[in-house]
Amino acid sequence: MNDFLSTYGHLLVTMVQAGLLGLSLYFPLRAGQLSLASPGFYALGGYIAAIMLTNPAFSGLRDSLGGGIFVLTWLVAAILSGVLGVVVGVPALRLRGIYLALATIAFVEILRVLALNMTITGGAIGIFGIPQAFGLVDWQYIWLFGPLLILTLLFAWQLERSRVGRAFDAIREDELAADAMGVPPTKYKVMAFVIGAVLAGVVGAMSAPFLNTWNAKQGTFDASIATLAFVLIGGSRNMWGPVVGGALLTAVPEVLRFLADWRLVINGLVLVVASLYLPQGIVGALKKLVRPRPLRRPPTPPPASSPPPPPRQPNEVNS
Amino acid sequence: MELSQFVQNLMNGLAIGSVYAIFALGYTLVFSILGIINFAHGAVFTLGAYFTYTLVVGQFENNGLLKGINLFPNGSPFAGHALTFGLATLIGAVVAGLVAVLIERLAFKPMRARGADTLMALVSSLGVSLVVINLIQLMVGAEIYNFPSNAYGDVPPALSFHIGDKTVIIRTVQIIIFAVSMVMLAILGYVIGRTRVGKALRAVAENPGTASLLGISVDRFILITFFLSGFLGGLAGTLVGTAFGVAGPYFGVTYGLKGLAVIVLGGLGSIPGAVLGGLVIGLAEAFVPADYSAYKDVVAFALLFVILLVRPQGLLGKSAIQKV
Repeated sequence: MNDFLSTYGHLLVTMVQAGLLGLSLYFPLRAGQLSLASPGFYALGGYIAAIMLTNPAFSGLRDSLGGGIFVLTWLVAAILSGVLGVVVGVPALRLRGIYLALATIAFVEILRVLALNMTITGGAIGIFGIPQAFGLVDWQYIWLFGPLLILTLLFAWQLERSRVGRAFDAIREDELAADAMGVPPTKYKVMAFVIGAVLAGVVGAMSAPFLNTWNAKQGTFDASIATLAFVLIGGSRNMWGPVVGGALLTAVPEVLRFLADWRLVINGLVLVVASLYLPQGIVGALKKLVRPRPLRRPPTPPPASSPPPPPRQPNEVNS
Repeated sequence: MELSQFVQNLMNGLAIGSVYAIFALGYTLVFSILGIINFAHGAVFTLGAYFTYTLVVGQFENNGLLKGINLFPNGSPFAGHALTFGLATLIGAVVAGLVAVLIERLAFKPMRARGADTLMALVSSLGVSLVVINLIQLMVGAEIYNFPSNAYGDVPPALSFHIGDKTVIIRTVQIIIFAVSMVMLAILGYVIGRTRVGKALRAVAENPGTASLLGISVDRFILITFFLSGFLGGLAGTLVGTAFGVAGPYFGVTYGLKGLAVIVLGGLGSIPGAVLGGLVIGLAEAFVPADYSAYKDVVAFALLFVILLVRPQGLLGKSAIQKV
């Protein structure tokens, strides 16, 4: 068991982390908003934690709080990500579809270039020597990311059964109709965006000690699309989708290690093939397997047999 | 700002802006027909530069599967003269266009046939882009490849002239980039605006269903669109490569992103918009004061963000009427 953990423990944590990032994109998508801002908030959360844990300005705070400083970094990351989420979200969420996606890519890119050039973020080199949270090492971070994942899934599950979740669904299906029914779209869209932002920020704050170092490579355009791939290939209509997608897509490059130099090429091919053959995502495909096929109308008799078609039975499902 | 400085910035901005424009046109053409953003466009840009490099130099460094190969032991027939270099550039762009056609067939067409969500095209094209980038790395390594300084033949590397007592220096490459881009834009404008092919393309962009009812083979025009898109991307790649070197397999990623900013700024799907957007962003970047040059890359995205909030349809885009 210890052997297994020392070999694959790091990967395991990364898989859970990817699932969490997928979820942070899933919440806005649940409300029909294609936001790719997660890596930006993830990077922000990581920088907040890295700065609070290494910058001399916070040394007094660190000494007096001991291990509590880690909890504080999560809180600060959550709050600042949430605030920035509102500031960015209110204007940006007036946009729809691909326009929103591009605006959020711009947001991520702006944050990245700022991080690359500011002194407090360590510029291009980034921040080094971030202390390990509670003395955890490597795979033991599962004790942080695991509970966070469970909490997030519980939250998602509760959310979907609540008034807010129904409002998200209504807006996703038809924003105008939702508005007409008294569901204020802006309020709920911003709410969904902020939930995703806060989650990504906290994941970032937990990841900075895990990775020991933090730099501008943590929030890039590639990460935006990779996170979208987690959600779409996992399945965007179910909270398990991003978790499964994130975990599997993170594992693929490792599983392909035997291909040596070819593995990143094949990794790209996996994305192409998966998006062609799993249009509903992995979870969607599994659901289709488990659930019986919906009833179909029996084939209509050929027009040659002239009697008029029988009246429709009430139990027939019109697909 | 002094006049000489102004002229210098203006020239720099026009050169890079015109490359942004032809590159972004590749995005716009595909978007206007299929309504998808082809994230593999940046990778095709990179490929174009490598193809041209292969023809002009044909020799690779010490990494990758192609190491030690020398295609032209007696010197490349394409090097050393402006015309042969132009021919190599053209071939590089054509091959890039063919690659784009291949990408269409392998990654996008099956998806259309299944009626998949257009969002999936983002993931699929990202996958294609990863495949291309990593194949390049596998083949020729991650080194920076520079075109030989005499690639254009015996032309002076730069022109300089005086304004007052200040000197303005314009690199020959910049003039060539600007001229080639403008000629390309003129040809494209003519083809799309005045010919039967262009008319058919516009019809397909307007409404594929109706166009096909009118006897236009939509499928064939999708191929033409992808070829044009790849051609423009590959050409832009070579142009940037001659000016700044072919900076490794990830060379095109930054341009891929900038291109997105350009098309949104100009208006998604608008061809004049892509040209205007490219020039605006190129000029805006060139006029960032030297003290803040590290923030140059923010300009495009800040412009994108602001324009989306103020005028979501872009500078020249038509605002869609929201139907209930």
